[in-house]
Amino acid sequence: MKAHLTRQTLIAGLALAGFSLAAAPALAQSAAKIGAPAPAFEAVDSDGKTRKLSEFAGKTVILEWTNHDCPYVRKHYTSATMQTLQKDMAKEGVVWLSVISSPVGEQGHVDGAKANELTKSRNAAPAAVLLDPNSKVARAYGATTTPHMYIIDPKGTLAYMGAIDDKPSAGAASLEGAKSYVRQAVAELKAGKPVSEASTKAYGCAVKYAPVS
Amino acid sequence: MAYPLTRQLWRPVVLALAVLAPGLAQAAESSAVTSPRVTATLLSSRDAVAPGERFQVALVQKIAPGWHTYWANPGDSGEPTRIAWTLSQGATASEIQWPAPKAIPVEPLVNFGFEGTVLLPVEITVPAEAKIGERLTLQAAATWLVCEKICIPEEGTLTLDLPVASAAVADAAAESRIEGTRARLPAPAGFRGRLAAEGEALALMLPGLPAAATDLRFFPLSDTLIDHAAAQDMRRAGDAAALRLARSSAFKIAGGEIAGVLTYRESGLSRALSVTADVDPVLVGAAAAPATPPATVSIPLPAEGADLTLWAALLFAFAGGLILNLMPCVLPVLFIKALGFAQLAQASRSQVREQGLLFLAGVLVTFMALATLVIALGALGTSVGWGFQLQSPPLVIALAVVMTLIGLNLLGAFEIGASAAGVGHGLASRGGRLGAFMTGALAVVVATPCTAPFMGAAIGYAVTQPPLLGLSVFLSLALGFALPVVALSFAPGLLRLLPKPGRWMLVLKQAFAFPMFATAIWLIWVASVQAGPGGVLAALVAVLAAGFVVWLVGVTRGSGFGRLASSLAAVLVACGAGWFVVQSAVPEATQARAGDTQVWTPERVVALQAEGRPVFVNFTAAWCITCLANERVALSRQEVKDAFAELKVVYLKADWTNRNSQIAMALAEQGRAGVPLYLFYPGSKGAQPEILPQLLTPDMVVTAARRAAGKEVRTAAR
Repeated sequence: MKAHLTRQTLIAGLALAGFSLAAAPALAQSAAKIGAPAPAFEAVDSDGKTRKLSEFAGKTVILEWTNHDCPYVRKHYTSATMQTLQKDMAKEGVVWLSVISSPVGEQGHVDGAKANELTKSRNAAPAAVLLDPNSKVARAYGATTTPHMYIIDPKGTLAYMGAIDDKPSAGAASLEGAKSYVRQAVAELKAGKPVSEASTKAYGCAVKYAPVS
Repeated sequence: MAYPLTRQLWRPVVLALAVLAPGLAQAAESSAVTSPRVTATLLSSRDAVAPGERFQVALVQKIAPGWHTYWANPGDSGEPTRIAWTLSQGATASEIQWPAPKAIPVEPLVNFGFEGTVLLPVEITVPAEAKIGERLTLQAAATWLVCEKICIPEEGTLTLDLPVASAAVADAAAESRIEGTRARLPAPAGFRGRLAAEGEALALMLPGLPAAATDLRFFPLSDTLIDHAAAQDMRRAGDAAALRLARSSAFKIAGGEIAGVLTYRESGLSRALSVTADVDPVLVGAAAAPATPPATVSIPLPAEGADLTLWAALLFAFAGGLILNLMPCVLPVLFIKALGFAQLAQASRSQVREQGLLFLAGVLVTFMALATLVIALGALGTSVGWGFQLQSPPLVIALAVVMTLIGLNLLGAFEIGASAAGVGHGLASRGGRLGAFMTGALAVVVATPCTAPFMGAAIGYAVTQPPLLGLSVFLSLALGFALPVVALSFAPGLLRLLPKPGRWMLVLKQAFAFPMFATAIWLIWVASVQAGPGGVLAALVAVLAAGFVVWLVGVTRGSGFGRLASSLAAVLVACGAGWFVVQSAVPEATQARAGDTQVWTPERVVALQAEGRPVFVNFTAAWCITCLANERVALSRQEVKDAFAELKVVYLKADWTNRNSQIAMALAEQGRAGVPLYLFYPGSKGAQPEILPQLLTPDMVVTAARRAAGKEVRTAAR
């Protein structure tokens, strides 16, 4: 009995010594939360200009995480769905910011010139393309996929985060009859109504994160 | 099991068919669709199918190293493999029978999927009307996403063309591969889990897990339930476990239950269970906890223990330790110690102080050892809850023997260590340094059956915290417990208040033997509840043997040979009695022993609430003295019974005298590690219970009953 107890205690002691707390990954603590102020950021755009979220105060802002080589992103661009959405939003006075978070050497990484060329060749219409090669903005928002959409209302509050539509597929056929969560949220915001589906599960390729420096 | 039999039965048939009808046998694997990343084929367990039978096919993906395809819930990104079937002959295909996924980290994200070669089995049903001699065509239009860091959507149409014969022809190699995969599919769990809110997070309660299960990970089928990459912290209570899961940013639960796969390791092997869990109604349809909650969202009440701050837990623990001194099983030991001080005080104050500090050391060391055991066993996934040691009949009996021996000692029937200390003060007042230390240890041992008020919440907090925080709570408890005796040893003023040593001391010492005997009787009763008549017999034999041994050692003291012989005899008797105790004190399954009350089950509470009945649940155990006291002074009082009858309260009893994982789980859900726990559920569907204090008064229970019945406005919003 006694020897048994001593051994138990020893094992217990060892277990305690070896016990380490699993730290929750950084994304679990990302500040992006529906109804809370959208995380502030500062990033250089494809023209080399430093842009801040605060400069768009008073306007609705859409963040679009993108990676031009991701098949899910390609579905929305080759069909021109994304460009149409960007233009329609611009007409509504909404500021559209495309965010590229791939670090150097990863799929989707571009420099400013390449980003501008992509905008031109695809006939896209973002207000600006933000380059986030250190994935800082992505971490602040907890972006997981490309595309991943965020809508910030004129008061700077996060009003929507999630998928671009309700058809999680890379196949072009899935665009037909898809419900655009972005159009729905913007229309509801404009009508002064609460966003009915404020957070959905984003789908697509994983955002290629830069290692934490 | 069915497979080797089938193979043996069919082997001659295959041979016969091969000879008789060479054209009939077909390759049971389709031609492959190949990319640099995935080679996909369709594999059939049959070379020929029979009308009306069910058989297995599998989509086989041979995935290049570094790449992966996806499970039903792909995790943070990706897309599951899908199959659209076109089947001839009116055959039908089941859904994919998903093997357990692997968590594939793509820092900081996590995907759920498969690497290497994976078989995705599908069951095909051949209609009874299928025409013999015709062909069954299986066409699988499969799409899958294959990712390394970059992702490629791929697709392929895989076709198998099988003859319909009067008797099925198995393809042994293919069948063995598919059945090999199916044998490792997540097995249905033998329990239903429960998903509840835990502040901003979720708690998934899992009763009935193997004790040795480690490395638990829950993979929900829904992709809007949890934050896939977040750590899943496990805590255990008994053989129940709870996983703390972070909510998904797109959190949403549609129905009353969720499903998923639980993977774990057990003695080095990976295992998987398919788990269904009932969802706490407050979670259904709820969105992710918003930063500014709209008025309509109901915020679940936090569990008491889980919500304690560290300071409150330390304070509660200290107070609980202090109160522990007054428990009937502890008081005599401490009183005798105090009397010992009074005697010593005549001699030397510094000696008294030294004794006090050694007592403190004894308490601290014993408490820390016990606490380390409790926390470590929990961390190792073995068992646990405070008072768990009393769920073992042999330990209960051992404690009864200790109590009896202390009683006999107090009566002066025998004395220990007379030669060492010079003066026979008896066990509890034994002189010398070791004696003082051992008194501290003994006090802790005799205190373990008693859970003092305030201790429950504090210990519940302690076992759910990281080990160091938990230990600090136990430390606070130990300090509170040791305080009175230590204070006495340091305050000569207090000692002077005691009357001068004299004959009254001897009388009082003897009188204190009786609470010890009473405690022993109570423990023997506990053993009788746990192990039946066999337990009583074992306990009494153990007491008899212990008494005999100390007597034998006493009478033969002094003579060298007699001492040796008696020591030998003592050891023999003690071993024999110990063996007998372990043999005969086997716990019986605890079942309905609740008298006029009903037996608790979580389903019962839900059902009664749905009927609009308020429910009172008494979590108790025969070895819990506070529980028994509460039942005596409050719960069995006529005014309480009347109030319950008038308000149509249903009284449910959850008896934790023996191990019971459902009860352990319910305790853990309220942030507790032990009994007593009293819950009052209002009579409306899904309403959260009110937790009553650990010391009850009839008034308190009646008022709570009125609140639960909605007859009184709840004044204190917790």
